[in-house]
Amino acid sequence: MIARCLAGTVLGFPLAALLLALLLHVLPRHGDAFLIPGLILFFPLWTAFMAGAYLFRSGARAWLVMGGANIVVFSTLWLLRLPA
Amino acid sequence: MKAATIRTFQTVHTWTGLLAGFALFVAFYAGALTVFHDDIAAWQNPPWRVATDSGVSMDALIERLLARHPGARDDFGVVLPRDSSHAAYAYWQDKDGARFATASQMEAPRTDASENELADFIYALHDSLGLPVIGLYLMGIVSVLYGLALVSGILIHLPQLAKDFFAMRVGRNLKRLWQDAHNAIGVISLPFHVIFAVTGALFCLFTITLAALNTVAFDGKLFEAFARATETTPAITLSGTPATMLTTDALMELARAEALKNGVRTFEPDYMHFVHYGDRNAVAEVRGLSQHTLGSYGTVAMSAHDGTVLATYVGDRYSLNGISYASLFGLHFGSFGGRTVQWLYFMLGLAGAFLFYSGNLLWIESRRKRRHVDQPRKTRIMARATIGVCIGTCLAITGAFVATWIAVRMDVDAGLPQRVACYGLFLGACAYACLRPVAKATIELLGITAVATVAMALIDLATNMGAMASSWSPLAWRVIGVDLTGIALGIVFALFARAAARRARDGDANSVWSSRAPTPSAP
Repeated sequence: MIARCLAGTVLGFPLAALLLALLLHVLPRHGDAFLIPGLILFFPLWTAFMAGAYLFRSGARAWLVMGGANIVVFSTLWLLRLPA
Repeated sequence: MKAATIRTFQTVHTWTGLLAGFALFVAFYAGALTVFHDDIAAWQNPPWRVATDSGVSMDALIERLLARHPGARDDFGVVLPRDSSHAAYAYWQDKDGARFATASQMEAPRTDASENELADFIYALHDSLGLPVIGLYLMGIVSVLYGLALVSGILIHLPQLAKDFFAMRVGRNLKRLWQDAHNAIGVISLPFHVIFAVTGALFCLFTITLAALNTVAFDGKLFEAFARATETTPAITLSGTPATMLTTDALMELARAEALKNGVRTFEPDYMHFVHYGDRNAVAEVRGLSQHTLGSYGTVAMSAHDGTVLATYVGDRYSLNGISYASLFGLHFGSFGGRTVQWLYFMLGLAGAFLFYSGNLLWIESRRKRRHVDQPRKTRIMARATIGVCIGTCLAITGAFVATWIAVRMDVDAGLPQRVACYGLFLGACAYACLRPVAKATIELLGITAVATVAMALIDLATNMGAMASSWSPLAWRVIGVDLTGIALGIVFALFARAAARRARDGDANSVWSSRAPTPSAP
């Protein structure tokens, strides 16, 4: 229970942030026109990850999957930001 | 959903509720009163007790500001008086931080916007429990827990929700009654709670969250993008040529005309912001409150020299960013729909406070040992804490009203008496709830709160009668409104006290709430 709680809280935070950054990045003009609605979505998204983390079978699995998701989203964002 | 998953969410709901419930009770009770912020300000300082400087015009205030603090001319604001018995004050940044002053305070400006205002103190209790800096972060964390409690609460009740929604099983099973009341209020006011969980977290944790997101995910470019998205003051360069400035009245008139052209029906200016005052390129920005729109606070930026409109963020002219940002405030404070919405927010705010109170009672009730006189230690502690904190908060806020009332009539600053009365009564109530038998403490604390609240309102009405009769002003309705609401709240406290007394007398003796001699348990 505690492990899943920590996974959702600790890994859910950067995951929510990175997903929003990715979403804004692919929108026209890097999502300038949607920045505030995007930021408003941050807390609901983080909360969703915190609640969602309890659906994992075990704490280890929660850390593994959410950690992996963080790495995937971060790498995608990093690749997209490379000058073409 | 599997039964095990539902049990997990049940645990999440219980723990988030336990951790955040007390702070949320304070936030919701004080928040419900904050809806009537301006009415409480009028109650403290009614139209027939004119405040110092309330007659000084805004132009005279600006002149006085610039004569005494010439450095402020590059960037300062003026907060308009909220009614005829309050004074306008200027706001600017000194080298040591923010400064505030009405016309006669220019020699010794304040560092606090309004340290003696009861309405602002109640607001501070609402957003940070009145604690500096740490309180705001604490309430931010509480808001996040609150969001999690909402999600888990909905998930656990989802399976029976449709079936039990209209059920109110009034009967001998008290736990079920509390459960039904808790669920009904939680579900009916869900949209309202979602608004607060989201906006509350944003308001309290905004700066640190922005800084964290900036580093984690936005490559250091978030601050700049955020400034671009919310900026309302057009960037200008100093011309160096002095020029005459339009009067504040003329600027407000121009702003109102511009706002009404852009799809809002009302525009009540409440704040003005000046950049490079006195220069040919000076900008004046007027912020105003519009009703029946989510962008309730709009701004019009003009040349302060000739009144040319430079930028408009009102009604139809809002960008998606602008309207989202503005709507956060409108939705949180309920300032978008006049009196109707204010009353709705007030009632839902009180219902929210009741939600957290009933959550605690439910926790105690579901751990009750029906066949034992001796109740578990943890439920006794929880009962004492719930009584002390929840009823203590209500008593403390009534105490702040009383202290303010006396201070104003003795012509002393109300800031300190308010805080002493409020925190003193709160701690006193908590200590009382710890020492006295729980059932007696509940009845007595509710009784004192009821009597104090009704007495304060009646005394205020009685002493104001003469002034109202001799110099009637429409603002007097606000004072009467606050007092009548106080009487109504007092009656509610009295009804709660009566219910608690009944339960102590006639209810099940095997309960923390009973004051009856316990019946021997069945062999």
